[in-house]
Amino acid sequence: MGTLILSGVARSFGSVVAVRDISFTVRPGDAFGLLGPNGAGKTTTMRMILGILVPDRGTITWNDTPVDLGVRRRFGYMPEERGLYGKLKVRDQIAYFGRLHGIAPPGDERRAATWIERLGLGEYAGRPCAELSKGNQQKVQIACAALHDPELLVLDEPFSGLDPVNAETLLGVLRGLQQAGTTLILSSHQMWQVEDLCESFGVIAGGTVRVEGTLRELRASWPTRIVEVEPASDSLRAVLDATPGATPLPHVDRPLLAYQVPADADTAALLRRLVAAGDVTRFERVEPSLRDIYLRAIEAAA
Amino acid sequence: MNATAVVFNAEFKRRITSRPYLFATLIGALSVILIALLPKLFGAALGSEANRVVLVGDPRVTSIAAKLLAKDFTIGATRTSLSAAPNSAYLEANGKSAAVAVIARAGDRLSVLVYARDPSGFGGAFARDLAPLQIAFSTGMSVADIQRQATVSVQVRGIGGRFSDASAANTAKGLGYLFVILLYIAILLNAQAIMASVAEEKTSRIAELLVAMVDPTRLLAAKILASASTGVIQLAVWIAVGGAAGGAIVGIFGDSPSGGVPLDLAPIALPPDEILSLIGFFLVGFLQYSVLYAAAASLINRTEDLGAVAGPLVIPVVLGFVLAQIGLQAPNSPAVAIFSQVPLLAPFVMFTRIAVTNVPAWQIALSLAVNLAAAVAFAWLAGKVYRVGLLLYGRPPSFAQVVRILRT
Repeated sequence: MGTLILSGVARSFGSVVAVRDISFTVRPGDAFGLLGPNGAGKTTTMRMILGILVPDRGTITWNDTPVDLGVRRRFGYMPEERGLYGKLKVRDQIAYFGRLHGIAPPGDERRAATWIERLGLGEYAGRPCAELSKGNQQKVQIACAALHDPELLVLDEPFSGLDPVNAETLLGVLRGLQQAGTTLILSSHQMWQVEDLCESFGVIAGGTVRVEGTLRELRASWPTRIVEVEPASDSLRAVLDATPGATPLPHVDRPLLAYQVPADADTAALLRRLVAAGDVTRFERVEPSLRDIYLRAIEAAA
Repeated sequence: MNATAVVFNAEFKRRITSRPYLFATLIGALSVILIALLPKLFGAALGSEANRVVLVGDPRVTSIAAKLLAKDFTIGATRTSLSAAPNSAYLEANGKSAAVAVIARAGDRLSVLVYARDPSGFGGAFARDLAPLQIAFSTGMSVADIQRQATVSVQVRGIGGRFSDASAANTAKGLGYLFVILLYIAILLNAQAIMASVAEEKTSRIAELLVAMVDPTRLLAAKILASASTGVIQLAVWIAVGGAAGGAIVGIFGDSPSGGVPLDLAPIALPPDEILSLIGFFLVGFLQYSVLYAAAASLINRTEDLGAVAGPLVIPVVLGFVLAQIGLQAPNSPAVAIFSQVPLLAPFVMFTRIAVTNVPAWQIALSLAVNLAAAVAFAWLAGKVYRVGLLLYGRPPSFAQVVRILRT
């Protein structure tokens, strides 16, 4: 396990600035979600981590040493656009990528067989990859990327195009790898899957990191909270209206009272005041979701 | 295991087991056998039909003419007269002949009127072959005396020690021509195989995975080495099959495959250093073209665009091939000597010069050095284009963009 540190990394293509100034740290064994809208610079950042692109400036280190070819062979990569040799058989394809990652024969074929069984690809092992469905090709791709028990596995949009069953299978595989000590970096637009898997996140927009940290840290820095109260009676509304800094949320699709309050508001005292004012059947302090944090970071960058 | 070796092994295995490669090797081997066998099996029949003539005229004249014409023609029939001008049906009816020659004597003058399917190939041969008969009519000498007196003993001896006689020189030219054809085919087949391989990895996005694990320049080198190896194996198969076919024909028919003078390669045997030079030029030429084709392929995004980028690269291959033909005829002309130093052309031109003449050692050394340096420079430039081109998606880059890539 190691620590990945990106520090002041930038990359342009001609006059187009893809990554302006990216810095973040991924701790050993973490699953790090790299979020951002299309064109934010996620893929370019991942390619620089893997040495596919060379940064114009800044440094990328793994365990305090620059990421060179020897280090990169211990990494795994699953790009957004899947790449497989169409005519090569599934078994041979996985073993080939194993050898490229330094697994000498016959270990390559042994590990390929293990992954084929693990991913339920047994009946396709002897078939050319081009004959497989997209979901099964994706499974082959993850096997190619993870066959060598990588120290760091970089996954660009790993869930795109997968049906819920295959997405769940992939989640299970990634959890297993993480438990075995692999550090994960993944980008995805499927927020719930990222939130489910990752401990820490970085939101990129306009080529820079807008927010970074664990979900707890990101929530802690969020300036407001939402309180939801039922029933929507006038007496309870009056208490909320009188609370300093509380503002009603305009669009609520259920008969309840929803107010935004400062993050440091004393919600216990608020609950006591509400109970004193009338019947309270439900009181909830809602933490911001990853989606909220993401959207707010993107809006701020716009 | 070294990643470059892994790529080399995979590329080698993929290429040598690919159907197009196996098919090309098989077709090539069959072609070699066919080329060796064709003259023996069909040459006599084809030749006799193309040269079969019907002689028409006074039997006292045509009987002598038939003997004189026998060295160039097969006499299909002899007639005393024609009822009408002959047509195609007449030729078919007279042993599928190619021509009818009406030979007439008026005093001491001999005249020949030839009716032929292909009028281009008879006039000169008739005039040459029947000249003794004309002289006999004019002088009263016998044809046999005239032939004896007109026989001149001619011997051609080579200067400079390369070839002892004309036969060896002609054999060397034939081999030189064969070598150039093999180089031409090897470059086109294998350089385009590299192109297809690079294009497949680029368009299927495998390249992105590969360059994360293997340095692009090493990746390119592994692919070229693998393709070169399969190319050399293919050539070796063709040469071995050609040799075996030639040997079998000599064994069966008791003479050379062509049915002519027995093929004796001993007089043109090249010294080891020149054989090494030939191998060197073959490999250098192969390397020069391979890296350029690979770099070009890395710039395309659809395999359909392969033809567009391959087109310009075919021009120097064809130019080199044509110049090599000129080199066979005039291997020591200043222009040919200059072209034998020029990168991309030299592998073809120097190849033929070494085969047919004594090229000064310094010229061979200079050309090898220049072309090796050019191959390294091409590989370096191609590596830069390949490294960037592999990750260029969307619209193909303009020429200006390619130049910018090379300058970075």
